[in-house]
Amino acid sequence: MTENADFTNVPEATHVPKKRSRVPVVWIVPIVAALVGIGIVVQKYLSEGPTIRISFRSAEGIEPGKTFIKYKDVDIGKVTEVILSEDFSKILITAKMEKHAKGLLVEDSRFWIVKPRVTLSGVSGIGTLLSGNYIGIEPGKSLKSHHDFVGIEVPPPIMGVPGREFTLRAETLGSLGIGSPIYYRRLNVGQVTGYDLMADGKTMNIKIFLNAPYDGFVTLDTRFWESSGINASVGASGLSLQTESVLSMLIGGIAFETPPSEPAGKPAPEKSVFTLFGNREAAMAPQEAEVQRYVLYFSESLKGLQAGASVTLLGMQIGEVTNVGLETAPDKTYLRTRVDIMTYQYRLFRHLGKADVAALKAMSREEKHKTIRHLVEEKGLRAQLRTSSFISGLQLVALEYFPDAPKARIDWKKEPPELPTVQGELANLETQLKNIVAKLDKVPVEEIGKNLKETIETLDRTLTRVEGETLPEAKKTLEDLRGALTSAERVLSSTDNNILGHDAPAQQELRDALKEIAAAARGIRVLTDYLERNPEALIRGKNKENP
Amino acid sequence: MTAVARTGMREGFVSCEACGLLSRPVSPEEPGECPRCGAELEFRRRDAIQRTWALVIAATICYLPANILPVMRTTSLTGEEPDTILSGVVILYETGTWYLALILLIASVMIPLAKLASLAYLLVTVQRGSVRNNRERTRLYRVLEIIGRWSMVDVFVATFVVALIQLKPLMSVAPEPGVLFFSAVVILTIIAAESFDPRLIWDSSQGKQETDD
Repeated sequence: MTENADFTNVPEATHVPKKRSRVPVVWIVPIVAALVGIGIVVQKYLSEGPTIRISFRSAEGIEPGKTFIKYKDVDIGKVTEVILSEDFSKILITAKMEKHAKGLLVEDSRFWIVKPRVTLSGVSGIGTLLSGNYIGIEPGKSLKSHHDFVGIEVPPPIMGVPGREFTLRAETLGSLGIGSPIYYRRLNVGQVTGYDLMADGKTMNIKIFLNAPYDGFVTLDTRFWESSGINASVGASGLSLQTESVLSMLIGGIAFETPPSEPAGKPAPEKSVFTLFGNREAAMAPQEAEVQRYVLYFSESLKGLQAGASVTLLGMQIGEVTNVGLETAPDKTYLRTRVDIMTYQYRLFRHLGKADVAALKAMSREEKHKTIRHLVEEKGLRAQLRTSSFISGLQLVALEYFPDAPKARIDWKKEPPELPTVQGELANLETQLKNIVAKLDKVPVEEIGKNLKETIETLDRTLTRVEGETLPEAKKTLEDLRGALTSAERVLSSTDNNILGHDAPAQQELRDALKEIAAAARGIRVLTDYLERNPEALIRGKNKENP
Repeated sequence: MTAVARTGMREGFVSCEACGLLSRPVSPEEPGECPRCGAELEFRRRDAIQRTWALVIAATICYLPANILPVMRTTSLTGEEPDTILSGVVILYETGTWYLALILLIASVMIPLAKLASLAYLLVTVQRGSVRNNRERTRLYRVLEIIGRWSMVDVFVATFVVALIQLKPLMSVAPEPGVLFFSAVVILTIIAAESFDPRLIWDSSQGKQETDD
């Protein structure tokens, strides 16, 4: 550009007027950007799920931002923060949940860390070997929303399977564990899902899950028992061995059954609590309500009597000994033995006919007491210790009638009432022996000996006299006797010749007489024969034509 | 100083932005079309300041989600992991390749930010009629035009990675909304730089000269 250029040659521009908007369209761009940005923020805010906190004992394999919370293998949340609790005893996990998972976060939802687990009953969580641990959730049934959870350490093994959960109370866990099988008629129908110790520290709460439809077999009368391992018990009735299956022998298990004597009850509601018995016998024994307890005071030693020993009524088992011990007598002067027993109505039923059972069931408490009082006071029902096995030396308590027993009363006001006793057989035997010995003691052996000696001396004297005086006389008598016999022999031989010889006249005559008699007999026989054939001959006379 | 202050517009001429031909406008309001190439003539780019402002604001808005939202999601056997630009920088740095981290940091975080700041600075100074550092500001503008496109490296990388790493089920990479916002930032700043008229930098100094006369 120079100042003195010829500007006249510069061509003039053409002009086509255009209408223009004053505000440039370009402002749409930031507006759109802002709208999109706001849209994203709003969407994020709207899709924002709740934040929950879960406490665990350890954060094994949990990483913030990487560990998911999964339900049925779908991610429903993500761990955002892992911190230690204030007292460093556990860890607190903060997790951001998806909005759609809100319904799963209720009061009784349970969380656990899913990791590979190998138990005797199976292997689980293999997927986590590659993907890392994640947090599993089992949604609860409550409707109350909840955001603070305490994680469980062991996963519930059952999820989404129809069935019901029950709780068993036991004194010890035995050999049970999570996943221990539950048997119904030796069929595996469920498993142990968890256990915890009750606050009192004395009872275990064992949670079990029974798959449908087997859960329907559990009624309020159903009894559960531990079929862990091999159940060997040595009792008064001998050695018994029992097991449910080889698996349960190894890892323990639970079996259940409803006693056949119980009427078919309604299925038990979910989460019903049952007692877990140690073995089938204990389980099938009747429950407290049907039990009558008694206390027995024996005068003899209780050696060989154990808790659990049988109580028999007329030889049939109707109960068992619950406790054996000592007690100060009421007058505080000596110690006496005390035996607690309980008798089961149910066991009695087993030995009774149907009508009797019905009658017994219909009886009121007072009536029963009256009956037993009658048995004790009138019929002499008594308890007695008996040896059940001479090899083991174990004893049992037998209830039997002893009509001769001294009178006794039963006081129903006492709890438990005292049942009168009589001495046991063994003790009886002992007493009898003692009596015999005492009687023997009383025998005057010395005096008897003296008397005996005198007697023998007398005898001796008598015999000497017999030898000196009696014997010579006897000899003379015998010689006379021999003379008499010789003359007798002579008389007999002459008689023989007259009467018994073949040609003796007596013989001849006798023979002729016998012949005559035989002929006469023949004549009579002919006559009777003829008369039999022709009876009319008696009236008409002999027919000439007939012989 | 007067020679410096004189501009084509002041003298009543208009230069064609397409072919560079200097021509006399039809009227000061409507300069008309270029007689040589037919392009529309303008004394100054129309609504340059407003337009640039709009685009700068739009880019700034997009810059936030571009950095907050993940740009891609890596799914592997060990799980899923979304990555934002900054987390990518951190990962690269932590894995020991600090130089790659630096490149990513400069190209994807600092350059877009610098562009936005520079454009805002240019716009503010032009609007306030500042006369200082005219040459430096013009140079800044030229640099902006050149380096702006390098920010697209990140977008290209993301695109390639997404296209190439599809080894399902072992590993796969999927794009996330962040990359869209990031591309928007880059494109909007390029357009914004384009919409700005560097001639405006000198207009003020001319005004200043005039008042001085």
